[in-house]
Amino acid sequence: MNVGQLSQETFRTLLTTSGLRVKTGPFNLSIQTRFPRLIDQLHQMYAHYALVNEAEIVEFHVRVTSMRSIRRPLTRLIQFEVDGRSPFPPVPAEQALATLEWGINLAIAMRINHLLLFHSAAVERNGHVLLLPAWPGSGKTTLCTALIHRGYRLFSDEFGLMDPQSSEFFPLPRLMPLKNQSIQVIRDYFPEAVLGPEIPGTLKGTVAHMRPSQESIERSDESAKARWIVFPKWSAGANLSLESLPQSEAFLLLASNAFNYEVLGETAFGAVTSLVRNCECRKLVYSDFDNALKALDALTDG
Amino acid sequence: MYWLSNVDLSSLKIENWDGEYTVFQPESGKTHFLNEMGLKILLILDQSPATLGTLCQELSEYFTLLPDAKFSGQIMKTLQRYEALGLVSSVTENT
Repeated sequence: MNVGQLSQETFRTLLTTSGLRVKTGPFNLSIQTRFPRLIDQLHQMYAHYALVNEAEIVEFHVRVTSMRSIRRPLTRLIQFEVDGRSPFPPVPAEQALATLEWGINLAIAMRINHLLLFHSAAVERNGHVLLLPAWPGSGKTTLCTALIHRGYRLFSDEFGLMDPQSSEFFPLPRLMPLKNQSIQVIRDYFPEAVLGPEIPGTLKGTVAHMRPSQESIERSDESAKARWIVFPKWSAGANLSLESLPQSEAFLLLASNAFNYEVLGETAFGAVTSLVRNCECRKLVYSDFDNALKALDALTDG
Repeated sequence: MYWLSNVDLSSLKIENWDGEYTVFQPESGKTHFLNEMGLKILLILDQSPATLGTLCQELSEYFTLLPDAKFSGQIMKTLQRYEALGLVSSVTENT
């Protein structure tokens, strides 16, 4: 059963009492909140996620609570908690959805060490994963959004989750936070995209989340191996280039980009070595979506 | 002063990427990125301790280079970096 099949009333009851238990890729999540606006937003944005029954273990228990501040008595604030701890200071209530999503990502990045976690978008085409590792601000979420509207299957816009033993990548299709100008770019290019509310004033500017497709969520148990690693960089006015990247450089970029490379030590060294040796490595610079998509289509056609 | 290796070279995981090397050091959990000369320095010191002069001599013969003051300075910087990483140690002869 999916979240979207719950009545609004049942959905609200779960969120305000024992928690809404949903499956997100290889992890289960329990969400609690009494904040009405967030409840409405989640009902729309989480519609395709499968519910998790009571017998299954939940990896992350998260909660968004309302609170008051003596310093800001007129501002309604919310606090994000994961397993009873608050990693962020309170933020204005309007930012609840963005804070919830960042909080879940933070919990994954901090706690998951049985998988190697690359800071990377990952999509699948022709049975293989295209990994798009990049640092914040390089446009990976926007590019990832464009790719999934052109037939690529979403694994994640944020995490490349790799089993270091088998080299399999696991999908983790979650809401994709578009930022600032990217929001309008995606609205213009892909009017069919389902976007949540625009949330101004966050640490990253204005954010609007894109809902992953139903297919990508329903197929989130289908893992795949990577075949291409492309380091993307959007640069205003730049001509398209998709150049081969030396494997040694790809290794260094990937190792320094992974959240838990040092924690996993020798296991991570072996896993990154195997990954790079089995992938085509490229560096992509682009300013125009259509050209970038054509180049990535050509790369992943074979 | 002479230099000696702090690590058992056989314990290092070394991957060759067309003449550049990634080296995992289990004791520190660190990964190092070395060129061919950087790795050769570790290989020489793994055989026996060496002074900077001896090291430069062996390297210049292996890579067919003409050793000069600039070359010695570069090797010295590399050794100091390796020392900071715990890969080698410097020992003064009267200690």
